[in-house]
Amino acid sequence: MLSTLNSPTMYLICGAIVLFVAGVSVFFMVRAWRAGIAIGMDKTKMKRTITASATFSVLPSLGILLGVIALSGALGTPLPWLRLSVIGALHYETQVAEAAAEAAGLSGLSASEMTPQAFVTIAFLMAVCIMWGMVFSVFFNKKYLKKLGSGGVKAASAGGFGDTAMTAMFIGLVSAYIASYIGGFVSGQGLFSFKGSAMPLLVAAVSAAVMALFIWIEEKKKAEWIEGFALAASMLAGMAAAAIAAAL
Amino acid sequence: MEEKKIILTEEEKQTRFEQYNNRTHVIGRIVCIITLILLTGAPFVMGLYLGAMPDFKAVGRGFLSIGIVYFVSCIAEFLVYTPMLGAGGTYLAFITGNLINMKIPCAMNARDIVGAKSGTAENEIISTLSIATSSLVTILVLAAGVALLIPLQPILQDPVLQPAFDQVVPALFGAMAYKYYRKNMGTAIWPLLIMSLLFMLVPSLTGSTSFMIIPSGAIAILIAWLKYKKGK
Repeated sequence: MLSTLNSPTMYLICGAIVLFVAGVSVFFMVRAWRAGIAIGMDKTKMKRTITASATFSVLPSLGILLGVIALSGALGTPLPWLRLSVIGALHYETQVAEAAAEAAGLSGLSASEMTPQAFVTIAFLMAVCIMWGMVFSVFFNKKYLKKLGSGGVKAASAGGFGDTAMTAMFIGLVSAYIASYIGGFVSGQGLFSFKGSAMPLLVAAVSAAVMALFIWIEEKKKAEWIEGFALAASMLAGMAAAAIAAAL
Repeated sequence: MEEKKIILTEEEKQTRFEQYNNRTHVIGRIVCIITLILLTGAPFVMGLYLGAMPDFKAVGRGFLSIGIVYFVSCIAEFLVYTPMLGAGGTYLAFITGNLINMKIPCAMNARDIVGAKSGTAENEIISTLSIATSSLVTILVLAAGVALLIPLQPILQDPVLQPAFDQVVPALFGAMAYKYYRKNMGTAIWPLLIMSLLFMLVPSLTGSTSFMIIPSGAIAILIAWLKYKKGK
Protein backbone atom coordinates (compact mmCIF):
# COMPACT_ATOMS: atom_id res chain seq x y z
CA MET A 1 0.00 0.00 0.00
CA LEU A 2 2.73 2.44 0.96
CA SER A 3 4.49 2.02 -2.38
CA THR A 4 1.22 2.90 -4.19
CA LEU A 5 0.86 5.99 -2.00
CA ASN A 6 4.40 6.97 -2.96
CA SER A 7 3.92 6.36 -6.68
CA PRO A 8 4.73 9.00 -9.35
CA THR A 9 0.99 9.50 -10.05
CA MET A 10 0.41 10.54 -6.43
CA TYR A 11 3.38 12.91 -6.63
CA LEU A 12 1.96 14.33 -9.84
CA ILE A 13 -1.49 15.03 -8.34
CA CYS A 14 -0.02 16.69 -5.25
CA GLY A 15 2.81 18.41 -7.09
CA ALA A 16 0.38 20.11 -9.49
CA ILE A 17 -1.50 21.72 -6.58
CA VAL A 18 1.72 22.76 -4.82
CA LEU A 19 2.89 24.32 -8.07
CA PHE A 20 -0.38 26.23 -8.39
CA VAL A 21 -0.02 27.64 -4.90
CA ALA A 22 3.62 28.56 -5.56
CA GLY A 23 2.43 30.45 -8.64
CA VAL A 24 -0.22 32.25 -6.57
CA SER A 25 2.43 33.30 -4.04
CA VAL A 26 4.70 34.67 -6.76
CA PHE A 27 1.75 36.52 -8.30
CA PHE A 28 0.75 38.14 -4.98
CA MET A 29 4.36 39.08 -4.35
CA VAL A 30 4.84 40.77 -7.72
CA ARG A 31 1.53 42.61 -7.40
CA ALA A 32 2.36 43.88 -3.92
CA TRP A 33 5.82 44.96 -5.04
CA ARG A 34 4.41 46.91 -7.98
CA ALA A 35 1.68 48.48 -5.88
CA GLY A 36 4.31 49.48 -3.32
CA ILE A 37 6.29 51.28 -5.99
CA ALA A 38 3.13 52.85 -7.40
CA ILE A 39 2.26 54.46 -4.07
CA GLY A 40 5.83 55.64 -3.59
CA MET A 41 7.09 53.19 -0.97
CA ASP A 42 10.78 52.90 -0.29
CA LYS A 43 12.30 49.98 -2.24
CA THR A 44 14.86 49.24 0.45
CA LYS A 45 12.06 48.73 2.96
CA MET A 46 10.40 46.23 0.67
CA LYS A 47 13.70 44.45 0.04
CA ARG A 48 14.33 44.22 3.76
CA THR A 49 10.88 42.76 4.25
CA ILE A 50 11.68 40.02 1.74
CA THR A 51 15.11 39.14 3.14
CA ALA A 52 13.91 39.17 6.75
CA SER A 53 10.89 37.02 5.90
CA ALA A 54 12.96 34.57 3.89
CA THR A 55 15.64 34.08 6.55
CA PHE A 56 13.03 33.78 9.28
CA SER A 57 11.02 31.17 7.37
CA VAL A 58 13.81 28.64 6.87
CA LEU A 59 13.82 27.18 10.39
CA PRO A 60 10.06 26.81 10.82
CA SER A 61 10.01 25.27 7.34
CA LEU A 62 12.51 22.64 8.43
CA GLY A 63 10.23 21.93 11.39
CA ILE A 64 7.35 21.52 8.94
CA LEU A 65 9.46 19.18 6.81
CA LEU A 66 9.79 16.99 9.89
CA GLY A 67 6.01 16.94 10.08
CA VAL A 68 5.95 15.61 6.51
CA ILE A 69 8.43 12.90 7.46
CA ALA A 70 6.44 11.99 10.58
CA LEU A 71 3.22 11.55 8.59
CA SER A 72 4.87 9.87 5.60
CA GLY A 73 5.26 6.60 7.50
CA ALA A 74 1.50 6.01 7.43
CA LEU A 75 0.24 8.18 4.58
CA GLY A 76 3.12 8.05 2.10
CA THR A 77 5.06 11.21 1.26
CA PRO A 78 2.91 13.01 -1.37
CA LEU A 79 -0.20 13.69 0.73
CA PRO A 80 1.61 15.10 3.80
CA TRP A 81 3.79 17.12 1.44
CA LEU A 82 0.68 18.63 -0.12
CA ARG A 83 -1.05 19.20 3.22
CA LEU A 84 1.86 20.97 4.79
CA SER A 85 2.78 23.05 1.72
CA VAL A 86 -0.79 24.24 1.31
CA ILE A 87 -3.28 25.26 4.03
CA GLY A 88 -2.19 22.75 6.68
CA ALA A 89 -0.41 23.59 9.88
CA LEU A 90 2.17 21.55 11.65
CA HIS A 91 0.48 21.48 15.03
CA TYR A 92 -2.89 20.21 13.95
CA GLU A 93 -2.21 18.22 10.83
CA THR A 94 -0.99 15.22 12.81
CA GLN A 95 -3.92 15.41 15.23
CA VAL A 96 -6.43 15.57 12.40
CA ALA A 97 -4.78 12.70 10.52
CA GLU A 98 -4.87 10.59 13.69
CA ALA A 99 -8.52 11.37 14.41
CA ALA A 100 -9.44 10.91 10.74
CA ALA A 101 -7.81 7.48 10.76
CA GLU A 102 -9.94 6.51 13.75
CA ALA A 103 -13.09 7.82 12.07
CA ALA A 104 -12.17 5.75 9.00
CA GLY A 105 -12.20 2.68 11.19
CA LEU A 106 -8.48 2.14 11.74
CA SER A 107 -7.14 1.62 15.24
CA GLY A 108 -4.75 4.50 14.64
CA LEU A 109 -2.61 6.10 11.98
CA SER A 110 -0.51 3.23 10.67
CA ALA A 111 0.68 1.94 7.31
CA SER A 112 -0.08 -1.70 8.07
CA GLU A 113 -3.83 -1.11 8.44
CA MET A 114 -4.14 1.43 5.63
CA THR A 115 -6.57 0.62 2.81
CA PRO A 116 -7.26 2.74 -0.31
CA GLN A 117 -10.66 3.71 1.06
CA ALA A 118 -9.30 4.64 4.49
CA PHE A 119 -6.63 6.72 2.78
CA VAL A 120 -8.98 8.76 0.59
CA THR A 121 -11.37 9.17 3.53
CA ILE A 122 -8.54 10.53 5.67
CA ALA A 123 -7.38 12.80 2.83
CA PHE A 124 -10.89 14.19 2.33
CA LEU A 125 -11.57 14.65 6.03
CA MET A 126 -8.27 16.48 6.49
CA ALA A 127 -9.28 18.84 3.68
CA VAL A 128 -12.78 19.44 5.04
CA CYS A 129 -11.60 20.07 8.61
CA ILE A 130 -9.10 22.79 7.83
CA MET A 131 -10.59 24.61 4.88
CA TRP A 132 -12.77 27.08 6.80
CA GLY A 133 -10.27 29.92 6.96
CA MET A 134 -10.41 30.08 3.18
CA VAL A 135 -14.19 29.78 3.11
CA PHE A 136 -14.57 32.67 5.59
CA SER A 137 -12.08 34.74 3.59
CA VAL A 138 -14.10 34.27 0.41
CA PHE A 139 -17.30 35.48 2.07
CA PHE A 140 -16.26 37.91 4.78
CA ASN A 141 -12.73 39.25 4.30
CA LYS A 142 -13.77 42.37 2.40
CA LYS A 143 -16.73 43.21 4.64
CA TYR A 144 -14.79 42.57 7.81
CA LEU A 145 -11.84 44.76 6.81
CA LYS A 146 -14.18 47.49 5.66
CA LYS A 147 -15.93 47.40 9.00
CA LEU A 148 -12.59 47.78 10.75
CA GLY A 149 -11.98 50.85 8.62
CA SER A 150 -8.66 49.83 7.20
CA GLY A 151 -7.55 49.97 3.60
CA GLY A 152 -6.86 53.66 3.31
CA VAL A 153 -3.45 55.26 2.90
CA LYS A 154 -4.13 57.49 5.88
CA ALA A 155 -6.12 55.00 7.93
CA ALA A 156 -3.84 55.02 10.95
CA SER A 157 -2.50 58.53 10.73
CA ALA A 158 -5.49 59.69 12.76
CA GLY A 159 -3.76 57.98 15.69
CA GLY A 160 -6.58 55.58 16.46
CA PHE A 161 -6.53 52.67 18.84
CA GLY A 162 -6.30 50.11 16.00
CA ASP A 163 -2.53 49.78 15.90
CA THR A 164 -2.23 49.56 19.70
CA ALA A 165 -4.97 46.92 19.71
CA MET A 166 -3.11 44.81 17.16
CA THR A 167 0.10 44.97 19.17
CA ALA A 168 -1.87 44.07 22.30
CA MET A 169 -3.52 41.14 20.54
CA PHE A 170 -0.12 39.83 19.52
CA ILE A 171 1.19 40.27 23.06
CA GLY A 172 -1.81 38.27 24.23
CA LEU A 173 -1.01 35.55 21.71
CA VAL A 174 2.63 35.31 22.75
CA SER A 175 1.64 35.42 26.44
CA ALA A 176 -0.78 32.51 25.99
CA TYR A 177 2.07 30.37 24.67
CA ILE A 178 4.64 31.44 27.27
CA ALA A 179 2.02 30.91 29.99
CA SER A 180 1.31 27.41 28.65
CA TYR A 181 5.02 26.57 29.03
CA ILE A 182 4.98 27.87 32.61
CA GLY A 183 1.77 25.97 33.34
CA GLY A 184 3.14 22.83 31.72
CA PHE A 185 6.25 22.95 33.89
CA VAL A 186 4.45 23.73 37.15
CA SER A 187 1.44 21.46 36.81
CA GLY A 188 2.11 19.25 33.79
CA GLN A 189 2.81 16.19 35.96
CA GLY A 190 0.37 16.89 38.78
CA LEU A 191 -0.90 20.17 40.21
CA PHE A 192 1.96 22.39 41.44
CA SER A 193 4.41 19.49 41.42
CA PHE A 194 7.00 21.42 39.32
CA LYS A 195 7.82 18.17 37.56
CA GLY A 196 6.59 18.96 34.05
CA SER A 197 8.93 19.56 31.14
CA ALA A 198 11.03 22.69 31.62
CA MET A 199 12.40 22.41 28.08
CA PRO A 200 10.01 24.84 26.32
CA LEU A 201 10.62 27.42 29.06
CA LEU A 202 14.37 27.00 28.83
CA VAL A 203 14.30 27.30 25.05
CA ALA A 204 12.08 30.39 25.18
CA ALA A 205 14.41 31.96 27.77
CA VAL A 206 17.54 31.31 25.71
CA SER A 207 16.03 32.63 22.50
CA ALA A 208 14.69 35.69 24.39
CA ALA A 209 18.16 36.33 25.83
CA VAL A 210 19.80 36.07 22.43
CA MET A 211 17.16 38.38 20.98
CA ALA A 212 17.95 40.87 23.77
CA LEU A 213 21.62 40.70 22.82
CA PHE A 214 20.83 41.36 19.16
CA ILE A 215 18.61 44.32 19.98
CA TRP A 216 21.31 45.71 22.25
CA ILE A 217 23.96 45.43 19.51
CA GLU A 218 21.60 46.89 16.96
CA GLU A 219 20.83 49.92 19.12
CA LYS A 220 24.40 50.44 20.38
CA LYS A 221 26.11 50.05 17.01
CA LYS A 222 23.25 51.39 14.93
CA ALA A 223 23.49 48.16 12.94
CA GLU A 224 20.01 48.06 11.49
CA TRP A 225 20.78 45.17 9.15
CA ILE A 226 20.96 42.86 12.17
CA GLU A 227 17.24 43.17 12.74
CA GLY A 228 16.51 41.17 9.60
CA PHE A 229 18.37 38.14 10.94
CA ALA A 230 17.80 38.56 14.68
CA LEU A 231 14.68 36.43 14.91
CA ALA A 232 16.07 33.51 12.90
CA ALA A 233 19.36 33.56 14.79
CA SER A 234 17.64 33.77 18.22
CA MET A 235 15.49 30.78 17.32
CA LEU A 236 18.54 28.83 16.20
CA ALA A 237 20.20 29.56 19.57
CA GLY A 238 17.09 28.43 21.45
CA MET A 239 16.88 25.23 19.43
CA ALA A 240 20.59 24.56 19.90
CA ALA A 241 20.04 24.94 23.65
CA ALA A 242 17.32 22.28 23.43
CA ALA A 243 19.65 19.84 21.68
CA ILE A 244 22.41 20.47 24.25
CA ALA A 245 20.03 20.24 27.22
CA ALA A 246 18.59 16.97 25.90
CA ALA A 247 22.06 15.52 25.36
CA LEU A 248 23.01 16.36 28.95
CA MET B 1 8.28 57.80 2.92
CA GLU B 2 8.08 59.84 -0.24
CA GLU B 3 11.56 61.33 -0.08
CA LYS B 4 12.48 59.39 -3.24
CA LYS B 5 12.01 60.56 -6.83
CA ILE B 6 8.32 59.73 -7.03
CA ILE B 7 6.24 62.45 -5.45
CA LEU B 8 2.55 61.71 -5.31
CA THR B 9 -0.27 63.62 -3.76
CA GLU B 10 -2.23 61.89 -1.02
CA GLU B 11 -5.24 61.59 -3.32
CA GLU B 12 -3.24 59.93 -6.08
CA LYS B 13 -1.84 57.47 -3.59
CA GLN B 14 -5.27 56.79 -2.20
CA THR B 15 -6.79 56.13 -5.63
CA ARG B 16 -3.96 53.85 -6.69
CA PHE B 17 -4.11 51.94 -3.46
CA GLU B 18 -7.88 51.58 -3.57
CA GLN B 19 -7.65 50.15 -7.08
CA TYR B 20 -5.04 47.68 -5.91
CA ASN B 21 -7.05 46.74 -2.84
CA ASN B 22 -10.29 46.17 -4.72
CA ARG B 23 -8.55 43.92 -7.19
CA THR B 24 -6.87 42.07 -4.34
CA HIS B 25 -10.30 41.05 -3.05
CA VAL B 26 -11.43 39.87 -6.48
CA ILE B 27 -8.23 37.91 -7.11
CA GLY B 28 -8.08 36.62 -3.53
CA ARG B 29 -11.61 35.24 -3.73
CA ILE B 30 -11.06 33.57 -7.09
CA VAL B 31 -7.79 32.00 -5.96
CA CYS B 32 -9.34 30.78 -2.68
CA ILE B 33 -12.23 29.17 -4.55
CA ILE B 34 -9.87 27.44 -7.00
CA THR B 35 -7.67 26.20 -4.14
CA LEU B 36 -10.74 24.92 -2.28
CA ILE B 37 -11.84 22.98 -5.34
CA LEU B 38 -8.34 21.57 -5.85
CA LEU B 39 -7.95 20.56 -2.22
CA THR B 40 -11.31 18.90 -1.79
CA GLY B 41 -11.11 17.44 -5.30
CA ALA B 42 -7.65 15.91 -4.87
CA PRO B 43 -8.82 13.00 -2.64
CA PHE B 44 -11.32 12.01 -5.35
CA VAL B 45 -8.70 12.15 -8.09
CA MET B 46 -6.43 10.03 -5.88
CA GLY B 47 -9.42 7.76 -5.32
CA LEU B 48 -9.81 7.22 -9.05
CA TYR B 49 -6.20 6.14 -9.19
CA LEU B 50 -6.38 3.98 -6.06
CA GLY B 51 -9.77 2.50 -6.95
CA ALA B 52 -11.71 3.67 -3.88
CA MET B 53 -13.84 6.62 -2.88
CA PRO B 54 -14.14 8.37 0.51
CA ASP B 55 -16.53 6.79 3.00
CA PHE B 56 -18.90 9.69 3.61
CA LYS B 57 -20.33 8.20 6.79
CA ALA B 58 -16.83 8.15 8.25
CA VAL B 59 -16.23 11.68 7.00
CA GLY B 60 -19.46 12.80 8.73
CA ARG B 61 -18.51 11.06 11.97
CA GLY B 62 -15.00 12.45 11.82
CA PHE B 63 -16.24 15.95 11.14
CA LEU B 64 -18.61 15.84 14.10
CA SER B 65 -15.87 14.63 16.42
CA ILE B 66 -12.94 16.82 15.34
CA GLY B 67 -14.07 19.00 12.46
CA ILE B 68 -16.34 21.08 14.70
CA VAL B 69 -13.39 22.01 16.89
CA TYR B 70 -11.41 23.19 13.88
CA PHE B 71 -14.42 24.98 12.47
CA VAL B 72 -14.70 27.06 15.65
CA SER B 73 -10.97 27.65 15.78
CA CYS B 74 -11.04 28.80 12.15
CA ILE B 75 -13.66 31.43 13.07
CA ALA B 76 -11.38 32.69 15.83
CA GLU B 77 -8.34 32.63 13.54
CA PHE B 78 -10.21 34.51 10.85
CA LEU B 79 -11.39 37.22 13.25
CA VAL B 80 -8.01 37.67 14.91
CA TYR B 81 -5.63 37.35 11.98
CA THR B 82 -7.47 39.25 9.26
CA PRO B 83 -6.83 42.70 10.79
CA MET B 84 -3.21 41.75 11.47
CA LEU B 85 -2.49 40.62 7.93
CA GLY B 86 -4.65 42.89 5.79
CA ALA B 87 -6.54 41.76 2.69
CA GLY B 88 -3.87 40.21 0.45
CA GLY B 89 -1.98 38.73 3.38
CA THR B 90 -5.09 37.04 4.75
CA TYR B 91 -6.08 35.36 1.50
CA LEU B 92 -2.57 34.11 0.96
CA ALA B 93 -2.04 33.04 4.58
CA PHE B 94 -5.24 30.99 4.70
CA ILE B 95 -4.31 29.33 1.41
CA THR B 96 -0.81 28.45 2.52
CA GLY B 97 -1.48 27.65 6.19
CA ASN B 98 0.95 27.46 9.11
CA LEU B 99 -0.32 30.74 10.50
CA ILE B 100 0.52 30.71 14.16
CA ASN B 101 3.91 29.04 13.89
CA MET B 102 5.05 31.02 10.88
CA LYS B 103 2.96 33.49 8.89
CA ILE B 104 1.78 35.70 11.77
CA PRO B 105 5.18 36.11 13.46
CA CYS B 106 6.78 36.54 10.04
CA ALA B 107 4.44 39.37 9.08
CA MET B 108 4.67 41.00 12.55
CA ASN B 109 8.47 40.86 12.37
CA ALA B 110 8.50 42.45 8.90
CA ARG B 111 6.05 45.10 10.04
CA ASP B 112 8.29 45.94 13.00
CA ILE B 113 11.41 46.16 10.91
CA VAL B 114 9.78 48.53 8.48
CA GLY B 115 7.72 50.37 11.10
CA ALA B 116 4.38 50.02 9.32
CA LYS B 117 1.18 50.84 11.21
CA SER B 118 -1.74 48.44 11.11
CA GLY B 119 -4.53 49.35 8.71
CA THR B 120 -2.30 51.44 6.43
CA ALA B 121 -1.45 50.88 2.78
CA GLU B 122 2.16 50.30 3.72
CA ASN B 123 1.17 47.59 6.15
CA GLU B 124 -0.97 45.90 3.52
CA ILE B 125 1.96 45.77 1.06
CA ILE B 126 4.56 44.72 3.62
CA SER B 127 2.35 41.98 5.02
CA THR B 128 1.55 40.56 1.57
CA LEU B 129 5.25 40.63 0.58
CA SER B 130 6.22 38.96 3.83
CA ILE B 131 3.62 36.18 3.65
CA ALA B 132 4.30 35.51 -0.03
CA THR B 133 8.03 35.22 0.65
CA SER B 134 7.44 32.99 3.63
CA SER B 135 5.10 30.72 1.64
CA LEU B 136 7.61 30.39 -1.17
CA VAL B 137 10.41 29.51 1.23
CA THR B 138 8.26 26.79 2.82
CA ILE B 139 7.24 25.42 -0.57
CA LEU B 140 10.88 25.36 -1.71
CA VAL B 141 12.19 23.82 1.51
CA LEU B 142 9.50 21.14 1.47
CA ALA B 143 9.97 20.38 -2.22
CA ALA B 144 13.73 20.12 -1.79
CA GLY B 145 13.24 18.12 1.41
CA VAL B 146 10.86 15.69 -0.23
CA ALA B 147 13.18 15.30 -3.24
CA LEU B 148 16.11 14.63 -0.93
CA LEU B 149 14.10 12.70 1.62
CA ILE B 150 16.25 9.59 1.60
CA PRO B 151 19.59 11.29 2.32
CA LEU B 152 17.99 13.92 4.59
CA GLN B 153 15.81 11.71 6.75
CA PRO B 154 18.58 10.29 8.98
CA ILE B 155 19.98 13.80 9.59
CA LEU B 156 16.65 15.41 10.44
CA GLN B 157 15.60 12.48 12.59
CA ASP B 158 18.96 12.23 14.31
CA PRO B 159 18.24 11.77 18.02
CA VAL B 160 20.61 14.64 18.84
CA LEU B 161 18.74 17.11 16.61
CA GLN B 162 15.25 15.83 17.34
CA PRO B 163 14.81 17.83 20.59
CA ALA B 164 15.85 20.99 18.72
CA PHE B 165 13.16 20.55 16.09
CA ASP B 166 10.58 19.80 18.76
CA GLN B 167 11.19 23.27 20.16
CA VAL B 168 10.78 25.49 17.10
CA VAL B 169 7.64 27.13 18.47
CA PRO B 170 8.96 27.91 22.00
CA ALA B 171 12.13 29.31 20.38
CA LEU B 172 10.01 31.52 18.17
CA PHE B 173 7.75 32.81 20.95
CA GLY B 174 10.64 33.35 23.37
CA ALA B 175 12.35 35.73 20.95
CA MET B 176 9.07 37.43 20.02
CA ALA B 177 8.15 37.79 23.70
CA TYR B 178 11.33 39.73 24.47
CA LYS B 179 10.84 41.97 21.48
CA TYR B 180 7.26 42.86 22.39
CA TYR B 181 7.41 42.72 26.18
CA ARG B 182 10.28 45.13 26.60
CA LYS B 183 8.27 48.05 25.30
CA ASN B 184 4.90 46.97 26.66
CA MET B 185 5.63 45.27 29.97
CA GLY B 186 2.72 47.03 31.65
CA THR B 187 0.32 45.47 29.18
CA ALA B 188 2.04 42.09 28.88
CA ILE B 189 2.30 41.27 32.58
CA TRP B 190 -1.47 40.80 33.02
CA PRO B 191 -2.24 38.23 30.34
CA LEU B 192 1.00 36.46 31.24
CA LEU B 193 0.13 36.25 34.95
CA ILE B 194 -3.53 35.39 34.52
CA MET B 195 -2.93 32.81 31.81
CA SER B 196 -0.03 31.21 33.71
CA LEU B 197 -2.24 30.84 36.75
CA LEU B 198 -4.99 29.35 34.63
CA PHE B 199 -2.63 26.84 33.01
CA MET B 200 -1.25 25.90 36.43
CA LEU B 201 -4.71 25.29 37.87
CA VAL B 202 -6.12 23.55 34.79
CA PRO B 203 -3.07 21.91 33.14
CA SER B 204 -5.21 20.13 30.54
CA LEU B 205 -5.78 23.52 28.89
CA THR B 206 -2.20 23.47 27.56
CA GLY B 207 -3.53 21.10 24.88
CA SER B 208 -5.74 23.87 23.53
CA THR B 209 -3.40 26.83 23.68
CA SER B 210 -4.58 28.01 20.28
CA PHE B 211 -8.02 28.64 21.81
CA MET B 212 -6.58 30.28 24.90
CA ILE B 213 -5.16 33.00 22.65
CA ILE B 214 -8.64 34.54 22.60
CA PRO B 215 -9.04 35.29 26.35
CA SER B 216 -5.35 36.16 26.57
CA GLY B 217 -5.64 38.61 23.69
CA ALA B 218 -8.83 40.04 25.16
CA ILE B 219 -7.08 40.75 28.47
CA ALA B 220 -4.15 42.42 26.67
CA ILE B 221 -6.48 44.56 24.55
CA LEU B 222 -8.51 45.55 27.61
CA ILE B 223 -5.39 46.68 29.49
CA ALA B 224 -4.10 48.52 26.41
CA TRP B 225 -7.47 50.21 26.03
CA LEU B 226 -7.55 51.34 29.66
CA LYS B 227 -4.08 52.81 29.23
CA TYR B 228 -5.08 54.47 25.98
CA LYS B 229 -8.12 56.06 27.64
CA LYS B 230 -6.03 57.24 30.56
CA GLY B 231 -3.45 58.78 28.24
CA LYS B 232 -6.04 60.77 26.30
